[in-house]
Amino acid sequence: MTKKILLCDDEIHILKAAEFKFSRAGYQVTCAGNGEEGWACIERELPDVVVTDCQMPRLNGLELAKRIKNHPATNQLPVIMLSAKGFELSPEQLREEYGIIRLLCKPFSPRELFTLVESLLGNAEPCVAGISTVTAVPAAVSRWL
Amino acid sequence: MPVLFLAATLAALGLYWCVEMWVGSPPPALRIALLASGAALAVLVSGLSAERHRVASQTARRYIDMLCQLDASAWLSGSAGNLPDLPSSNAFRPVLTGVRQCLQQLAERVEEAEHQKTAADARVHRVALERDQLKEILSGLTDPVVAVDSYGSLILANSPATKLLHLPASAEHSALEQLDRCEELLGLLTETRKRRCNNSRTAEVKLADESGRQHWFRISCRTFADESSSQGSSRSSGKAAETLPANQGAVAVLTDITHEKAIQKRNAEFVSSVSHEMKTPLASVRAYVELLADGDAEDEATREEFLGVIHSQTERLQRLIDNLLNLSRIEAGVVEVNKAPRSLNELLEETINLLQPAAAHKRMELVTDLSPLYLGVLADRDTLLQAAINLVSNALKYTPEGGRVTVRSRLYDESVVFEVQDTGVGLTPEDKQKVFEKFYRVKKDQQMAAGTGLGLPLVKHIVEDVHGGRIEVDSEPGQGSTFRIILPGMNARDA
Repeated sequence: MTKKILLCDDEIHILKAAEFKFSRAGYQVTCAGNGEEGWACIERELPDVVVTDCQMPRLNGLELAKRIKNHPATNQLPVIMLSAKGFELSPEQLREEYGIIRLLCKPFSPRELFTLVESLLGNAEPCVAGISTVTAVPAAVSRWL
Repeated sequence: MPVLFLAATLAALGLYWCVEMWVGSPPPALRIALLASGAALAVLVSGLSAERHRVASQTARRYIDMLCQLDASAWLSGSAGNLPDLPSSNAFRPVLTGVRQCLQQLAERVEEAEHQKTAADARVHRVALERDQLKEILSGLTDPVVAVDSYGSLILANSPATKLLHLPASAEHSALEQLDRCEELLGLLTETRKRRCNNSRTAEVKLADESGRQHWFRISCRTFADESSSQGSSRSSGKAAETLPANQGAVAVLTDITHEKAIQKRNAEFVSSVSHEMKTPLASVRAYVELLADGDAEDEATREEFLGVIHSQTERLQRLIDNLLNLSRIEAGVVEVNKAPRSLNELLEETINLLQPAAAHKRMELVTDLSPLYLGVLADRDTLLQAAINLVSNALKYTPEGGRVTVRSRLYDESVVFEVQDTGVGLTPEDKQKVFEKFYRVKKDQQMAAGTGLGLPLVKHIVEDVHGGRIEVDSEPGQGSTFRIILPGMNARDA
C-alpha cells in the first residue's frame, strides 16, 4: 500500500523539491501552501506523516502541529517540522506540547528528510482513511511519540 | 535714719550729762530745758537725715524712671550714656551706675543676638529657597528619582516618582516599604544602602504608568554620604567625625528605556527575519543541488528546471543582500547613482514581467494601465526598478488569492506619476503613518507574507532622496491600497 505524506510549506520551490523526492520513491504526496490548507488535506485524507514548515501564513506550523496533536483522530500522527528560525523550545518540549517528533533546520537536506521519513514509516502499515474513520494508529508509529 | 536718731539722742544725753557735771546739780527747769533741747536736736538731726535720704531716693527714682524710658535704640546708639550721672553725694549712685552699665551691656548683647537671628533667618530662608528650587528641578525631570537615608527612610521622591510609584504626596520621611509597588527598586535601594559600595548598581523593571501602559525602566542606584546621621553619630560617641565610617544613603534614578527596548526587540526580530529570509532561498538552492547531485533529475528538462530554480533563488538571495546593503548605505548617506533619461513605461513593463509568475502562483491578476505617452524620467535604472519591484511585490504579498494588482502611469503637469493599486488588506491610518519606517511591519498582516520591513523604506529613499520625487499612499482597511510615486518629468529637469 502506498504511503502518504503531507507537505506544508509556503515556499513553492521547497515544496516541489520535497514532492519530487518522495514521489520518485513511490510516496503519495499531497502539498499545501499554508497551515489551513494542510489541515483541510488531513481532514480529507489522513496521511501517514506530516512534514510542515514553521512560518506559514494562515495557521503556522506550530499551530497546525498543535491542532493535529489535540484532535483525537490525529493525535498519533507524526509531525516533522522544517524551520529557518531558531527555537527556544527544547526537542522534548516540542514533542510534549506540539507532538513534533523531529525538527530539521533550513536549509535542510532532502536526503536527510527522506531517510528520516523512511525510518519512521519503514515498517508501519499505511493509513487508508480520513479523520472521521480513524480509530487506531499504526503500532510502529507510536514508538516515535 | 533710726541710727541717726539714736546717735542724736545719745549725743543729747551726753551733752546733758556734761552740763550736769559742769553745773553740778542744775535746777529742774534747766534740766528739762536741756533734755528738751537734746530731744529737739535729735529730732532735727534725724529729720534732716530723713529728708536727705528722701531727696536722694526721689532723685534715684527719677533716674530709674529716665533709664526705663530709654528705648533700645537709645541704648544702642549710645545716647543712654549721655544721661547725667546722679550726684556723687547720692547714696544710690554706685548701684544705679552699675545698673546702667549692665543695661548697656544687655542692650548690646540683645543687638548682637538679633543680628545673629536675622542672619540665621536669612540662611534658613536661602536654604529653604534652594531646597524648593532643587525640588522644582527634580520634579521637572522626566526621570523618577528616589532617595533614602541611612536609616531606610524615604527622604526624596520627585513628582514623576510619586506618580509612577503611587506614593502619597507627603511620602518623604516615611518608611522605605512605601515603595511596595516596585519590589526590585525596594530591594536595590536596601542592598545599595547596606553595601556602602560606591559603584552604581542597575536593574531593569517593567512598570505601568498612570494610563496603564507598560514601560521598561532601568534603575541606576548608588550611595551618597548621609551627613545628618554621621554627625549625630559623632556627637553621641564624642569622637571626631572623620574617624567613623560615613553613613550611606542611596539614590535611585529610573530611566525610561521602553523605546530602547522596542528598538532592541525590533532589531532582534529583524535579525531573526533576515536570517529566515536568507535561509529560505538557501534551502531551495541546497535542495535542488542535492537532487541534481543524487541524480534524481533523470531528464534534461528536469535538470534545466532545477538549475533555473537554483538560479532564481540565488538571485532572490542576492536581492535580499542588496536590500540590506542598500539599507546600510541609506544609513551611511552614500548611494551610487547613475542617472540617465529613461522611459518609465519600459521600467514598469520590466517589473510586470518579473513578477507575473508570482502573481500567477497566487491566481491573481497583475494588469497594467500605462499611459500611451512617452513618460521620460531622469532615473537610475537599477534603483527605480527596485522601487517598482518592491511596490508590486508588496501589493501581491498583501492581497489574498484571486485578487488584482493594477499598475498605472500617467503624465500630470510636469510630473510623471505611476501607481500600484491592489485589492488587498489595506492599511489603518496609524499604519499609513508608520509603513515607511525601517523594520515596521503591520502586526496583523505578518502572517500573510514574509518580509523584512525594509522594502517600503527603501522605496521611499529611492523616490525621495535619489530621484527628488515623493511617495503617497491611499488606503482603507479591507479596501486595498494605492501607492503613488510622483517623479519630476524629463522636461522639468536638465538632462
